[in-house]
This record gives sequence, C-alpha cells and structure tokens, in this order.
Amino acid sequence: METGDLSARLRSHDPSVGLRAVGALHRLAEQVEAAAVARAREQGWSWEQIGDALGVSRQSVHAKHGK
Amino acid sequence: MFEHFAAGARTAVASAVDEASLRGDRRIGTEHLLLGVLHEPGSVRALGTDLTTARAALDALDRSALAVVGIDVRGVERPPVPASRKRTPFTSGARAVFPRALAETRKARSRRIAPEHLLLALLDCERPDPAADLLAELGIDRAAARERIRETGR
Repeated sequence: METGDLSARLRSHDPSVGLRAVGALHRLAEQVEAAAVARAREQGWSWEQIGDALGVSRQSVHAKHGK
Repeated sequence: MFEHFAAGARTAVASAVDEASLRGDRRIGTEHLLLGVLHEPGSVRALGTDLTTARAALDALDRSALAVVGIDVRGVERPPVPASRKRTPFTSGARAVFPRALAETRKARSRRIAPEHLLLALLDCERPDPAADLLAELGIDRAAARERIRETGR
C-alpha cells in the first residue's frame, strides 16, 4: 500500500480509529510474538537466539515466555 | 471504594480484569467493565445482548480499525498472550465510572453498589470512551436499557 494512501485514510477518519488501531497492533504484535517464540522453542532455538532475533536480551525473552 | 461493592459488582469488576487479560490489553477500560457486567444475567436482560456478542463486537471494532491502516487479521493465528506479571491498572475513564456508580446507588437508595449501578454508570459513557463505541457497535438503545433496569429495580 502507498504511504500517501494510508495517511490520507487516517486523516479522513476520526482519531479514535487510529488510536484503536495502535492498541490492536500492539496486541497483534504480542500474539505474533507468542506464537513465533513457541514455534522457535519447539524447533530447538535457544533463548539467546530468540532474544537476538527479537532484539532483546535472553533474560527478558525467557522471563516473558519461559514457563 | 470497593468496600461499597455488593458481591455481584465485585464479580463484574473481577470479570472485567479477566476480559482485559484475555484480550491482552494493558489497562482495564470501560469496554472491559461493560464485558464484566455482561457476566451477570440481569445486565444481559437490560442490554438485550450477551457476552459472546459483545466480545465479538469489540473484536469487530478492532478489525475495522486495523483495516484502516491496511492490515487484515482474518485467519491470522492469534494464540493467547502470556499474562503480564505487572498489575493491570484501570484507565482514567474506568476509574471515573466508580463514583458515578456510587451516585446511582444513592439515587436508588441502595446501600451497596450492585451490577446495575455499574451498568447505569457505563450507559452514561460518551465518546471517545471505548464503552460508548462498544454500545454503539452493539446498537444498544441506552434509554430503553435504563428503563429496563429501573423496572427490575422496583
């Protein structure tokens, strides 16, 4: 999609739509992360490798997703 | 504040907390309080809608907001998010509901805040409050809902 197209659409809408989209994107990112981390663990990735892929430390990814 | 709550209203608030964490939201807002009171049959009757419908309506609002930024989430795998260990705070909009519910309780000359007082306070939410968006999405007639609550209160 064209960026110009996106900003035109966001301008034409009420701000609550854009703000709601941000909240929904945040949740979506968390959900995609949870699924991807679970799959990586199943396939034998180390917490270190997952942390590197996400750009966070091994400790923080393990604290969040490790059981 | 919560010492004024009757058991049903406490359950509604606890359910609102669960609804927020189920969705992966970081704050408990008025939309979660609305879902919370819908755990209670009296609110289902007053609003003429149920919990499943209301959850679906909230998802529909999110999907259309995402569609505006060009994202289609239909068919995307969305597993539950690990619960945050931090305490989930209430939004300022949700905190504002409690004194209004207390005012409704006094108006009804009740001693404790019951779920219907929470619901009456939620029915007064105006946009951009998320509960107002959800009520609109559900097509709820607020005046009729208030009337049904008053009738059962007698």
